[in-house]
Formats: sequence, structure tokens, C-alpha cells
Amino acid sequence: MLWGGISLLGAVALATIAFSRGEPLNGTWFVVAAACTYLVAFRFYSAFVAAKVLALDNTRATPAERLEDGRDFVPTNKWVVFGHHFAAIAGPGPLVGPTLAAQFGYLPGTLWLIVGAVLGGCVQDFVILFFSMRRDAKSLGQMAREEIGKRGGMIALLAVLAIMIILLAAVALVVVNALKDSPWGAFTLALTIPIAMLIGVYLRFWRPGRVLEASVLGFALFLLAVWAGQWVSVSPQWAPVFTLSGQGLAIAVIVYGFMASALPVWLLLAPRDYLSAFIKIGVVLALAAGILWVRPVMHMPALTRFVDGSGPVFAGTIFPFCFITIACGAISGFHSLISSGTTPKLLTREGHARMVGYGSMLMESFVGIMAMVAACALEPGVYFAINSPAGVVGQTAEAATATIRGWGFPVDAATMDALARQVGEQTLLNRVGGAPSLAVGMAGIFNSVIGGERLLSLWYHFAIMFEALFILTVLDAGTRVGRFMVQELLGYVWEPLGRRGWYPSILLTSGMIVAAWGYFLYQGVMDPLGGINSLWPLFGIANQLLAAVALVVATTILFKMGRLKLVWVTLVPMAWLVTVTMTASYQKIFHEHPRIGFLAQARMLSEQVAAGAVPAERISAVSQQIFNARLDAIVTGIFALLVLLLLIEAAGEWYAILARKKEIVLRETPYVRTQYAEGD
Amino acid sequence: MQHSKPGISSLGWLWWWLRQVTGDAAFENYLRARQKQLAGPQALACHAKGAACAPAMSDQQFYLDMLARKYSGVSRCC
Repeated sequence: MLWGGISLLGAVALATIAFSRGEPLNGTWFVVAAACTYLVAFRFYSAFVAAKVLALDNTRATPAERLEDGRDFVPTNKWVVFGHHFAAIAGPGPLVGPTLAAQFGYLPGTLWLIVGAVLGGCVQDFVILFFSMRRDAKSLGQMAREEIGKRGGMIALLAVLAIMIILLAAVALVVVNALKDSPWGAFTLALTIPIAMLIGVYLRFWRPGRVLEASVLGFALFLLAVWAGQWVSVSPQWAPVFTLSGQGLAIAVIVYGFMASALPVWLLLAPRDYLSAFIKIGVVLALAAGILWVRPVMHMPALTRFVDGSGPVFAGTIFPFCFITIACGAISGFHSLISSGTTPKLLTREGHARMVGYGSMLMESFVGIMAMVAACALEPGVYFAINSPAGVVGQTAEAATATIRGWGFPVDAATMDALARQVGEQTLLNRVGGAPSLAVGMAGIFNSVIGGERLLSLWYHFAIMFEALFILTVLDAGTRVGRFMVQELLGYVWEPLGRRGWYPSILLTSGMIVAAWGYFLYQGVMDPLGGINSLWPLFGIANQLLAAVALVVATTILFKMGRLKLVWVTLVPMAWLVTVTMTASYQKIFHEHPRIGFLAQARMLSEQVAAGAVPAERISAVSQQIFNARLDAIVTGIFALLVLLLLIEAAGEWYAILARKKEIVLRETPYVRTQYAEGD
Repeated sequence: MQHSKPGISSLGWLWWWLRQVTGDAAFENYLRARQKQLAGPQALACHAKGAACAPAMSDQQFYLDMLARKYSGVSRCC
């Protein structure tokens, strides 16, 4: 009866969202639709996967129990693991992706967030967590090597390294575009470095490990920094110092990334992570409460004209580009690295994997829904004015707003100018990347609850800093892990380079990994189309391909477990992801439209140079653009090739299993009965 | 089980959960786990080998050890 009611309510909410055309639609419907679907999916679908597909066994001792050491393997309360896991998987992706995909209208992204998570993302996180737990918390790469073959393991390692580089460049570009020419934002972000260091010293020397009190102190200082930023932004002396161009900010972020990787972890990386996690959970809860309180009306239509691929935010048709733009929030391959990392070492019972793996991803999807609501609550004209690059809409405010009006979305230069002044910025035009428009949307919701118009600028910068902190944490941690991977690879060439603590190796490998993502970041900053048009799809393709890798591994294991009739649980999302990513890869390389296809873009620019249409002083820059477009095509091709190779390798394994040509070896650890009493 | 949920009020539970999730209680958990180990069969094995069991880490040592382990793998997603 109860579940019938929840299902009915969810169906009504989904139908209202799907069939509403023209009449005002309240954001609460999105929350209700998502929450009801998640509840029903968790109650029934995850229970089905747990019982029938994976056969979770609560009498079986987990690695946390068998290998308990008080450090890595620690049997931990289910809700604590849930908190750890959610904090680890939820980054800027579920905020930025839905905001960018809002250019198609609210409907495609919302449906993909809900359906993709329930049938794809949650299943991936859950099954990988379970399989890792059954293998003493082995990593995805180790499982790929053992279950598919050595080549599979190497492909997984290379895929992870490649995705890491593109991911870091893409998220760094979001920060750069959000903070360029913004003295308030740049000042506040700069202050977070000494704040993090102060917390680092506090936690290292004064009160070791007292994370909560240090985080509260850091949060208070952070708020002070946001508050102080407004004085800097109007100061004739200081405003010019912190008004940085895109290139200047990119260089600053690259230098910062190098420092975070090379400095001791306790000094910068860890304290920033604590601060970020603290703010992350607080802001997500506040946004949920704000949406329910304010009940914002959606101004974006259900579908926009840009479903045809001509979108200004990024180019490409709704299929496949909506499904790679929203990766985190629906399905993210990167999660499989977390699910096969720390989390399986903490689970006390096998049954907890369902709440932690499936449930945490539902929460992340919910964050994506909230980002979609915040973005679509903006007037579409304002949304497109913020997110469209000058190369598409025009260089001046008048030209940009005239172009957007021509698309049927009313906006004028005076409105944008007034909004920029209200949020304490010089301009909001050409701020591609999603973060500023999301911050405007969030600030609009927050200031409706507290403060009104006069606090809009503070809320805006608070929201921008929240996103920037998120992203810099990913940048810190990702650069460091990337450094370890490069050290591991170089260790095969010369043993000392493989030592993690050897300083020459630290400096060399930090420099290598930072140079790799820094190159793509700089290329994005210099791109007249705003960079996001190239980098975000690349990131989406890489991330979804990694998800395909994880689902290939999971499907192989299910075949080996003899679940032939139930293998569709992972096989269907895998097939969907392979179709989406291969189509997107093909289009990004070969599409004839220069805004979509990298090779077409290179060809068009080459022809312009050959025809003498490029001024002499621009030839060097255009030549660099041509090189970058070809490089992006090669990188996309490599991603696709890696996954095709893995797929072929796995298909051979599946055939051998089905045709009984090979003895099935399932590399689970043997059954050991738990010593915990029931209900413990 | 080491990190069992104490039988306390919901506000107390929230505080307990927050300390666990943030890592604020990690050192206490470590000491508790170690005490349990010293009282269990692992300690007997340790003494049987004639080797002294390693001394407990200080709070500073534990904090640095925890960070080194946490940030040597993928700990944050996108």
C-alpha cells in the first residue's frame, strides 16, 4: 500500500515534468519525482540485484572482519561507511554536468539523471563494491587483470591515467572560467591556501587528528575570506592585483597543482580536503532545503531548439552528447575506483554493500537533480548569456544578447550588466563551464531564504567558492594519484624513480603529470570556443568509457558466477555506454561540423590559413589550434581503442565460458563464517 | 564490531556519526582496535614468536600514517 502510493506519486511527478509544456512548472516536482523513483528503485531493484544477482551473504566474514588491523581494514558502521563513500564520490561533476546539459532543456538531463543512476550508475557502484569485497578489496585494475587477463589490467591502468589527465584539465578549466576577471573570487580562492595551511599545521602539530574543530575553524576563516572579498573587489589598489586573465589564472592553477602534489600531504592537500568535505555536505543539504522552501519555478523549457546539435554551450545532438555531458550524477566510471578502493575495506556485513554502493549513488544523482533545478530556474536568456562563449555569440554584451534574443530567449545587455553588479562581478558574459550560472541559480535560491537582494553577491561568491573548493580538492588529490601512477610506470624503467618518497622523483613526476593536464587546460583557455566545447565531452567520453570498463569486468565475473540469465543487469548498461561513447568518440573525431568534429575543425582552420584569411599575427595561434584539434582527435581515438580492445578481450573470455572451452576460475576469497552475532 | 552505533539519543548519534565520518574519532578507534588485538589471539602469536609487539603510534604518528594511506590511492572522485 505504502509502496503503491510512493510509486503513484513518483509516476505523477514524472508525468508532470515530462508532459508540461508552456505552463509554469515548480521545481518541487523534480525533487518528488527523483525521491520517489529512488525509493522504489532502492526498495525493489537493488534488493533484486542483492538477492538474486549477487547473492549477498551476511554470514560470510568481510575483509574488514578477517583482515582487521585498525588502520586499513576496519569494520565500520554502515552509515559511517555511507558518509565516507558519498563524500568520496560526490565531486563537482554532478553539479557541472547537469548545468551544461540544461542547454537541451530540463527534460533530457533530468530523465537521464534518474534512469541512468537507477539502472546504470548505482548498479555499477554496487556490483564493483561487492566484487572487490569478495576479493579482499582488490582494485578495478587488479580485478580486470585477474578476471579478463593481463592485457585487460594494463588497459584499465592506462585508461585510469588518461581519464585522470583529461578530468583534471576539464575541472581546472571550470575554475579558471569562473574566476577570470573576478577579483573577489580570485582573492577568496587565494586566501583558501593559507587557510588550508593553517589548518594543516593545527592538525599536524597542535591538535593532531582533531578534524572537526579544525574544520569549524577553517570554515569560519573561509566565510571571513568570502566576506572580505567584496572590499578587495572595489579597492583601487587591490582589485587590479586580483583581476587575472584566463591565461594568468591557468598558470596560477598549474603552479598550485604542482605544489599540492610535491608538498607534504598534511600541509595543503589533506586540510583542503577536510574543509571542502565539510562545506560540500553542508551546501548540498542547504540547497535541498532551499529548493523545498523556495519551490522555484522552472524558466527553461522542457526541450530547447538545441537538441539538434547547434547548442552554444557545447555542440552536438542530444544523442549521444547529453549522456556524456552528464556522467557523474547518472553513471561515472571514476566511482568504480572508489568502490574498489577504501570502501570495501570498511564494510562489516556483505549486506551493507547495497546501502553504501547503490544508496550513495542515488544521493549523488539527487545532487545532480538539484543542480538541474538551480540551473533551469534561471531565465534561459541569462543562462545562455553566461554559458555561451564569445566565439559563438559575439564579443560585446550587445552582440551576445542580440544573438541570444534571436534564438527566442529574451535578454538584454542592461539586464546582464545589472545582474553582474548585483553579484559583485564586472561581467557575467562568456563565463563558460557551468559554475557561474549554477552559482547565480544557487544564490537566487539561497537569498530567497536568507538576506534578500542585498546578500545576493555574498551568496554568489559563497557558491562559487564552494564549487572552486570542490574542484581544487579533486585537482590536488588527482594530481597526487596521477604522480603515483607515473612513478609506478617509471619504476619499471629505473627503480629509484619508482620510490614515492624520493624527492627528485617527486619533482619530476609531479612536473610530468601537471604538464600533461596543464597543457590541455591552457589549450582550453586559449580556445575561442571556450574550451569546454572540447574538454568536457572528452572528459565525459573518458569517464563513461571507464564505466564501460568496470561493467565489462562485472559482466565477466557474473558469467563466471553462472548468472547467465541475470547478466543483463550489467550487460545492458554496458551496451548502452559502449554505444553512447563510441558514437560520441566517432562524432568528436570525424563529424563534418567544425564545432563538433576535431578533424573538421583542424581542416577548416588549415583552409583559412592556406587561403590567407588569417592575419599574420594570428597564424601562430591558429597553427596551435590546428595542432590541438588533431591532438584531441588522437586522444579520443586512443580512449575508444583501449575500450574496444578490452571489450574484444572480454568477449573472448565470455565465449570461452559459454562454450565451455575454458575452466572457470572465480577468484573470490574462500568462505569464512562471520564471528559477529546477528544484528551486530 | 569496532564501530558499533552507541545507544544514545538521535542528536548524540548525529554527533557520533559526524566524528566517525570526518575522521575525528580515527585515533580513538585505532587505540580501541589495538587494545582488542592485544587481548586476542594475534597477541598470543606475537608473544609466541618471541618478538615484542610494535608499540602503539602516537596521535601525531597515527595522523600522518592515516593521511599517507588515504592519499596514496584514488580518494576523491569527480
